[in-house]
Amino acid sequence: MKGFKPSAPFLLLLPAIIVLAAVVVLPLILSLYSSFTPFRLTRPETFFVFVGFRNYLSILSNADFWWAFGRTVLLLTIALNLEMLLGLGLAMLVEKATRGQRVLRTLMMFPMMFSPILVGFQFKFMFNDNIGLVNNALQSLGITQDAIPWLIEGHLAFIAISIAEIWSSTSIFAILILAGLLAMPKEPIEAARVDGCTPWQTFRYVTWPFVMPFAYIAMTIRSLDVARAYDIVKIMTDGGPAGRTELLWTLVGRTAYSDARMGLANAMAYFSILLSIAFTVYFYNKLAAARAQIGAEW
Amino acid sequence: MMDENASARLTRRTLTVAHRVGLFLAMLVICLPGIWIVLSSLRPTVEIMAKPPVWIPQQLSFDAYVAMFSGIGKGGIPVLDYFRNSLIISVTSTVIAVAIGMAGGYAFARYRFRGKSGMFLGLMLTRTVPGIALSLPLFFLYVRLGIIDTHIGMILAYVALNVPFTIWLIDGFFRQVPKDLAEAAQIDGCTRWQAFWQVEFPLARPGIASAAIFAFLTCWNEFALASQLTRSVNSKTLPVGLLDYTAEFTIDWRGMCALAVVMIIPALTLTYIVQKHLVGGLTSGAVKG
Amino acid sequence: MTRLLLAVSTGLAGLMLSNAAFSADLPGKFPGVTIDVKLIGGQQYEKLYERIPEWEKATGAKVNILTKKNGFDIDKELKSDIASGSTNWCVGWNHSSFAPQYTGLYTDLSKLLPKDEIDAFVPSTIKAATIDGKLEMLPRAQFDVSALYYQKSLYENADNKTKFKAKYGYDLAPPDTWKEVTDQAQFFANPPNFYGTQFAGKEEAINGRFYEMVVAEGGEYLDKDGKPVFNSEAGIRALDWFVNLYKAKAVPAGTTNYLWDDLGQGFASGTVAINLDWPGWAGFFNDPKSSKVAGNVGVKVAPKGSSGKRTGWSGFHGFSVTENCANKEAAASLVWWLTNEDSQKLEAAAGPLPTRTAVWDWDLKQAENDPYKKEVLGAFQEEAKHAFAVPQTPEWIEISNAVYPELQAAILGDKTSKQALDEAAAKATQILQDAGKL
Repeated sequence: MKGFKPSAPFLLLLPAIIVLAAVVVLPLILSLYSSFTPFRLTRPETFFVFVGFRNYLSILSNADFWWAFGRTVLLLTIALNLEMLLGLGLAMLVEKATRGQRVLRTLMMFPMMFSPILVGFQFKFMFNDNIGLVNNALQSLGITQDAIPWLIEGHLAFIAISIAEIWSSTSIFAILILAGLLAMPKEPIEAARVDGCTPWQTFRYVTWPFVMPFAYIAMTIRSLDVARAYDIVKIMTDGGPAGRTELLWTLVGRTAYSDARMGLANAMAYFSILLSIAFTVYFYNKLAAARAQIGAEW
Repeated sequence: MMDENASARLTRRTLTVAHRVGLFLAMLVICLPGIWIVLSSLRPTVEIMAKPPVWIPQQLSFDAYVAMFSGIGKGGIPVLDYFRNSLIISVTSTVIAVAIGMAGGYAFARYRFRGKSGMFLGLMLTRTVPGIALSLPLFFLYVRLGIIDTHIGMILAYVALNVPFTIWLIDGFFRQVPKDLAEAAQIDGCTRWQAFWQVEFPLARPGIASAAIFAFLTCWNEFALASQLTRSVNSKTLPVGLLDYTAEFTIDWRGMCALAVVMIIPALTLTYIVQKHLVGGLTSGAVKG
Repeated sequence: MTRLLLAVSTGLAGLMLSNAAFSADLPGKFPGVTIDVKLIGGQQYEKLYERIPEWEKATGAKVNILTKKNGFDIDKELKSDIASGSTNWCVGWNHSSFAPQYTGLYTDLSKLLPKDEIDAFVPSTIKAATIDGKLEMLPRAQFDVSALYYQKSLYENADNKTKFKAKYGYDLAPPDTWKEVTDQAQFFANPPNFYGTQFAGKEEAINGRFYEMVVAEGGEYLDKDGKPVFNSEAGIRALDWFVNLYKAKAVPAGTTNYLWDDLGQGFASGTVAINLDWPGWAGFFNDPKSSKVAGNVGVKVAPKGSSGKRTGWSGFHGFSVTENCANKEAAASLVWWLTNEDSQKLEAAAGPLPTRTAVWDWDLKQAENDPYKKEVLGAFQEEAKHAFAVPQTPEWIEISNAVYPELQAAILGDKTSKQALDEAAAKATQILQDAGKL
């Protein structure tokens, strides 16, 4: 029995390892290699020309790239934080509801039913300056007479894509935090109430520490998955106008396929992977700390 | 004394009203774009695009839906094929991803082994690769294997996409199930396998259900990989099908909204059904820290 | 080289031996052959595919549709195919703006089809479909060049006429120069409810509009050595046209994020006076079910720039046969079938412009009893004479992607036109140097 034990987790993990190695790691090695070549899709022979770090060097001196990089970090920071706050609020609102829980929970997850590409089309249309829903509503309500160019003005365009992103992803936080709230034992809250804690104190010292790991799970999952915002931004502005909403992924996408410069694009993609890793490791550490705090076994 | 009671009641009532209003507003913001899509799918284009806007629909019709199911050339798209592909690919890959996720999650939650932390992080990090960076190398591999434009290829890709995710979630939920429960069952004569299915699985079911919902919705809505790995009605999924309504110069907004509704309804129904399990597992109140 | 020789000799052998060399024998017989094809999807394009089963019946061959996607996604797919060497399918969608990128993918159709069949197409289109001496595609009836749509009632309004004359000193009439468009657009504009005109604001779309404006101003985009020279005086004048309209708020504020669908919907919503747009919209604009300006639409040939040349950026869809196709004669027969007279009539009947001379005549005759259609076809037939394709360089799309953010920057006021164009030209030069072209 003793000899069998160490291999059990390995066996249990084996299927996951095989699938991920085949579908993620192997292609990654291919693309890592190609980031050292001047590979152009339309000229397959360039796949075999080795240029060392030239792609990486040209990225380092590319101002547009670094603007996109900074903008991506900003978007991630703003969107993830707002999503967590809103998700927490939403989960608590739903948890407190006495009736219609099932319907409310389903509705809460409603934006998750929208394919990101659909979210992109839909918000692009809603934010259209001439015939979009948002401007029509503002004008009909007499709030403004102008056609606000939501997708054009530097800050407005950034806000518009953030809104679309936040609308589509807050649900993920809400549902995970709700799951945490529901899994939470009721005694500590009762005890806190008996001890005379205010609702805020109960939340701060009892509920939040328990829910925090779930929030961090959501945060980490989202930071892994945030590149799906690519579909939204691609449709809404595609990084424009004049590069004002250019993100890493739109830049990579355009360089890779439209310009067909796959080697360069893969080098850029590696920077964006590094960024994702940084975010993920950060939240992962927070998650571990949160778990340690509530005494979960690690 | 009376005063205190009355003011307490008042506070409580205010809170209830505030809660209801807050909840209503939140749900409104969430649902508005959806309602608008449904409306747009029923209105003629001229009304959708009207300036000044037409707020109250004047003419409603199911024309867009009728057209969608008509033949090619009459405004139809092969929606049934897309639907079938989406369903097969999403359901199969969800089932596999959840099975793999249960195995992996259980390993992380219940065993100690060397390099556990690093292993866990490593698995998660495979998810950091953006679809756009993965799509071409994956395409190369698939061409060599001959599984471009097949269900198998898509299922494989989506399983890989979801596994880190399901492992993580399920791990978290297994952690919530007290270890003593399973140990007690084992002392009572169950094997570890039996203890898992009879004690730990039912308790972790809400977690597994939510992992399944996540995985399913991710597959159902994924676009970046699908647009590269699918080509024809053999495997094209609904999100890729949305682009059938865009041509070089035009977008048929109404048709696209109609297809969006067709996409959203099954996802919504399924979520509603799975919701029951999510609740069912929790009502017993057996989960204690 | 040997492969090329082989391909040529196979082509020649085909010419001498197979029956397909004479147009009377088309489509020919190919029993048991399967042709793998990649087609563009979408309402406008799919009606034609109903003719495929007829070809199968006539030839005994089978068509296997590998792909049906929108143009940009097929472009991505073709590039992926070239990159991974999986090009043994036979017939593919092609577009004049994309075609030069696919170096080596497609074969020379003039070697596979009889000359009199090729001569039946509009000569300028065949010229634009010929890349490095190879006829790489046969155009279907999806020829695109832009003409000017306008709201007729604006020009019939007596009040407008007197006010305009008083302000600008000449009579208000549908514009014939881009200068007049500027005047009129500013005259009609009443933001945010009504705009004088609009333009595509991003990607290849704005670069194409800029390109035709450079030509109309008497400049060149690339000179005869292929060097980017659009930052000339003419180029600056061309860009200033966009900049000034934007500054004067005569165009919608969101225009730099607009693509074709936004523009078409905008004109159909009745909030734009003058609109340079594609033939595909003609039916849409005059249909009360989709357009608020139905019955009020005038169409006119595109205006002239200061050099006296008219704008006329054009493009067209077609079908090509791959170099690696196992059965080129059968594939060429299918391409011919999809672009022959009957096929073009089928497509043209729904509105798009044909690319065969005979079908143009037929089309005009069909429109005789429909004054709107007659006006549309008349305008586009005139415009087709001034049409010109984009420069035939494989880097065209890449250059577009580098140039358009600079154009936008000038329009939005981040840079002056000269700064923006100098930087864009530097980027474009860099791209061409990287590709070993300069």
